[in-house]
Amino acid sequence: MSTYDWLLSIHITGAFLYVGGGAAAGILNLRAWYAERPSEIALLLRLISRIAVPAIGIGAVVSLVFGVWLVHHAGYSYGTFWVWAAIVLWAVAGALGGRGGQYQSKAGVEAARLAEAGDTMTPELRALVRDPVGNALSYASGLTLLVILILMIWKPGQ
Amino acid sequence: MIAFLRPHSWDFPLFLHVFGAMVLFGATLATVGLAFAGPRVPRLARSAFWTLLAVSIPAWVVMRIGAQWIYSKEHNVIFTKDPTWVGVGFGVADAGLLFLLVTTGVAFWWQRSGKVVAGRIVGGLSLVYLALLVVAWLAMSGKWGGLAG
Repeated sequence: MSTYDWLLSIHITGAFLYVGGGAAAGILNLRAWYAERPSEIALLLRLISRIAVPAIGIGAVVSLVFGVWLVHHAGYSYGTFWVWAAIVLWAVAGALGGRGGQYQSKAGVEAARLAEAGDTMTPELRALVRDPVGNALSYASGLTLLVILILMIWKPGQ
Repeated sequence: MIAFLRPHSWDFPLFLHVFGAMVLFGATLATVGLAFAGPRVPRLARSAFWTLLAVSIPAWVVMRIGAQWIYSKEHNVIFTKDPTWVGVGFGVADAGLLFLLVTTGVAFWWQRSGKVVAGRIVGGLSLVYLALLVVAWLAMSGKWGGLAG
């Protein structure tokens, strides 16, 4: 394998962790939306923080570091549209996902508290899990990742 | 030239292939988590079953259609005999369908019976499949055996 192949392989590994982690978070979040008991919501949201978030975090760092390395190694320019747009969107996706995650954390804390206290669903918990702003932020982060993937494949401006 | 310059007509099939594979990886990761976190929680069995049926299998179909489409464009252009990375990719993809169908069947059994052993089997199969997906993306992105074989 050439240096380019190694760098690309690790960059793509980061991208799989980032996008795959995001997909896993989306799936678990959707299941929490329809869950009927606080204990189930607490478990699903805990899975997001223990499995999906580490994958997203590692993937985000690896994809960026090795992506930048690839730009240098392959002789791409930072002035090229797909390169700078992907870096900007990488930051946007992280900011949106981080902000959306704060809403999920709040719902997770409330779900764990209710699970300890009789495991009965309340309208407040349901509202927290289905919070339109929190969900919109998280899913917008996922859509931003999709746009980055499109940029990486089509390479507009190249 | 370091990177192989791909014609733009190959972009959409490649996008389908990669996007399907990434969602498939995410859905498998979620299934592993659900299966190991709650083999005794019947409602998590339902979540695992529906994740497999409504996300993993459709994502596999998208990934596999994209794979065949891009293969039809690359074959006889950048290779005539399948290189190692293509063989690994097809092997994991096609064996993966069997894995997915068996895992979905066991997840259905887990959902209906609530048996802990069924949850453990779903978790184990999903973990093996997750490892196979990692091998496939490493082989394909690293072009094991060389671009043209």
